[in-house]
Amino acid sequence: MLKRITNFLTSLKFGIILFIIIAVYSIIGTVIPQGMDLQFYLNQYHTFGSLMVFLQFDRVYSSVIYLAIVLVFVINLVGCTLKILPVQLKKMKDYIPTKGKNNENLYENWMDIEDIKSGFTKKGFKVIDTEDGSYAVKHRIGHVGSSVTHLGIVIIILGALIGNMFVKEGYITLAPGEIYEFNEYGFTFKLDDFYLDLREDGSVEQYYSELTVYEDEKEPRSETIWVNNPLNINGMYFYQSNYGWASKMQITCAEGHVHQESIFKENPHVFYDKESLTVLLYGYYPDFSMDIHGNPITLSQNVRNPAYAVVLYNEEGYVNSYIVRPGQPIEYKDIEIKFVDSVLYTGLTYRQDFGYYPVMIGSIILTLGILLSFYFYPKYILISQDEIIPVTRQNVWGFTIKIKRMLKELNKVRGNNQ
Amino acid sequence: MNIVFFEEASFTIAFIIYIVAALGFFVYLAGGKEKADKIAVYASLAGFIVHTAAMILRVIESGRLPFSNQFEFASSFTWGIVLIFLIIQFYYKFSSLGAFVMPLAFLMMGYASMLSKDIKPLMPALQSRWLSIHVGSAVISYGSFAVACGLAIMYLLNRKNMDKADSKLPDAEAYDYLSYRIIAFGFLMLTIVIVTGAIWAKYAWSRYWAWDPKETWSLITWLIYSVYLHLRFNRGWKGKPAALFAVIGFVCVIFTFVGVNILLPGLHSYN
Repeated sequence: MLKRITNFLTSLKFGIILFIIIAVYSIIGTVIPQGMDLQFYLNQYHTFGSLMVFLQFDRVYSSVIYLAIVLVFVINLVGCTLKILPVQLKKMKDYIPTKGKNNENLYENWMDIEDIKSGFTKKGFKVIDTEDGSYAVKHRIGHVGSSVTHLGIVIIILGALIGNMFVKEGYITLAPGEIYEFNEYGFTFKLDDFYLDLREDGSVEQYYSELTVYEDEKEPRSETIWVNNPLNINGMYFYQSNYGWASKMQITCAEGHVHQESIFKENPHVFYDKESLTVLLYGYYPDFSMDIHGNPITLSQNVRNPAYAVVLYNEEGYVNSYIVRPGQPIEYKDIEIKFVDSVLYTGLTYRQDFGYYPVMIGSIILTLGILLSFYFYPKYILISQDEIIPVTRQNVWGFTIKIKRMLKELNKVRGNNQ
Repeated sequence: MNIVFFEEASFTIAFIIYIVAALGFFVYLAGGKEKADKIAVYASLAGFIVHTAAMILRVIESGRLPFSNQFEFASSFTWGIVLIFLIIQFYYKFSSLGAFVMPLAFLMMGYASMLSKDIKPLMPALQSRWLSIHVGSAVISYGSFAVACGLAIMYLLNRKNMDKADSKLPDAEAYDYLSYRIIAFGFLMLTIVIVTGAIWAKYAWSRYWAWDPKETWSLITWLIYSVYLHLRFNRGWKGKPAALFAVIGFVCVIFTFVGVNILLPGLHSYN
C-alpha cells in the first residue's frame, strides 16, 4: 500500500495533474483582484466572498494552499527524477539502442562503410566497433537532459521560497538635503539632488536621485539612481520608484513669528494645535491652470506658474478653500498660513532578496537541461555491412533527414574525388 | 514624403501581400496547380522582405528596436510567425503548410493595423538593454507557437487525407514530428523570455517575480507546453490529442499577448 502511494506521488501522471492544478490556481490569482480587504470581497462577490477569502483566493500566490501544492510538486519532481536518474546515468556510459519499427535503413549499394564511418567521425560522432558491427554516437550527455531540467526547477522553487522568508523591503521618501540612516546595515545616505529629465512635450525621459553614501569605515561616495539603474549596497538594492512635490508651510502670528513649520510630502494634512485647525493641501500645481469644470490642474512638471490649492477645517468642519501663490498668506483669525516653496522629493523602494541568486543559478541549469533534452539529445547510428540506421528516442524523423543529407554530401565528396 | 510615409506604405503593402499569399495557398489546396503553392511561398517571402523594410524604417525613425508598444509587438509578432514559417518551408520543403500559417500572420497583422502607430519615446522603465533580448526572444517564441498551431489545425482538419498517396499535405508522421520540434524550440525561447524578464524585473521593479498578470500567464503557457512535451515524449502522445494541446497552448499565447493587456492590466501595460 505504502509503496503504491509513493509510486503514485512520484509518478509522471501525478506530476501532470499538479501542473494543471498549479496553472488553474494561478489563473484564479489573475482574475480575482489580489490583496484587497475582506469588505471588498463581500461587496463584490456577496455570499461567495467569505468562501473565497477562506480559500485564500485574495492572496493566491502567498497562500498556504499554493505553498502546499508547490511543495508537493517539488516532492513529485525530486521523486520522479531520482527514479529515472540511475537509468539515465547508466545509459550515458554504455547504452546501445536496438532498431525499432520507426527506424529507417539508409544503406544503399554505392556506400562504402569505412568511408561513411570516417565521414561520421568528421561530423563529431564517435564510432565504436562491437562484436556485431559498429555504431556511431553523439551527445550521450543528453540522456540526463530531463534530470538537469528538473534540478534547475527544484533549485528555482526552493531558492525563491527560502529567499522570500528573508526578504527585507520598504519605501522611503527623501527631499534634497534629507538624510536616511540604515543603522542596522551600517550605512547612511543623504539625498544631494533629485531631478527629472523632461522631453520637449513635457513627458518624463528619466528620474535621477543623486546621493552621498556614508558606509562604516569607508570614504563617502557619490551615487546616482535612475529607473533601471538601482544602487546596490551590500545586497540591498535601492530603486527609483516614485516622486512628488514636498511643500513647506509656515504658520505665523501677526507679528511675524513663525509658530509652526511643516513639510507636506505624502500626507496632505497638518494639524495646528493652538487653533484646532487642520490644513489640507489639496494639491500643488507647478504649472497651474483650470480645466473646464473649474478644477485645478498642472500643465507640466515645470515650475512656470506655481500655485497651491488649500482647504481649511476647524472643529466645526469646513472653513474655506483657497488657491494661493508661493508666499501669499491665508489669513485665519489672527494667524497667517503660507506656503513658502516646493521641491521635488524622490521615492525610493528598497529590497534585499538573496533568493535571486539561487533562482538565477536554477534558471541557467533549467535552460541547459532544455538544451540537452531537445538539441543535444543522444543520437546513435547503427552500422553494419548493409545497414546504416539512425536511432534516437527524441526525434527520429528530423535526425533521419539530417543523416540522409549527410550521406548525400558524402556521396558528392566521393564523386569529386574519383 | 518622409520616412513615416514609406514605413506606413510598406507596412500596408506587406499586409496585402500576406493576404495574397494566404489566398494562393487556399487556391492550391482547393484543387489548384502546384504553381499556386510556389507563387504563394514566394509571395510570403516578398511580403516578409517588405515587412522587414517597414520595420527597418521604423528603427531608423525611432532610433530603437520596434519593441515598445502593442502595435510594435503585434507587427514584430507577425514578422516572427512569417520568419519561422519561411525557415521551415525552405528547410523541409513542405507544401501547403502556408495555408494554415499565413492566415494567422495576416490576422495578427490586421490586429496591428488597428492599433496606434505613433512613435513615442521610451518610458523610463523600458530604457534597458534587456528590452531587445526579452521581447526579441518573445517574438521568436510566439512565432514558433503560431506555426505549430497552424500545423496542428492542418492536421486536425485533414488527418484522414494526410496519408493518401495523392494528398497535397505532408504525411501525418512528418507533421507530428515537425510540430513537436517547433514547440520544443518555442518552449526553449519562452524559457529565455521568462528568465530574461526576471533579470530585468530585478533591476527595474525590484522583484524578479511579482505575479504580474503577464508574468503569471506566461508561466501558465509554459506549464501547458511542458505538459505537451512530457506527454508527447513519455507517453507517445501523438496525433489528435497532441494537436489539440498545440492549439490550446497557442490560445494561451494569444491570451497572454492580447487578452492580458485588455482584461488584466498590470505592470506590463505599455500602450
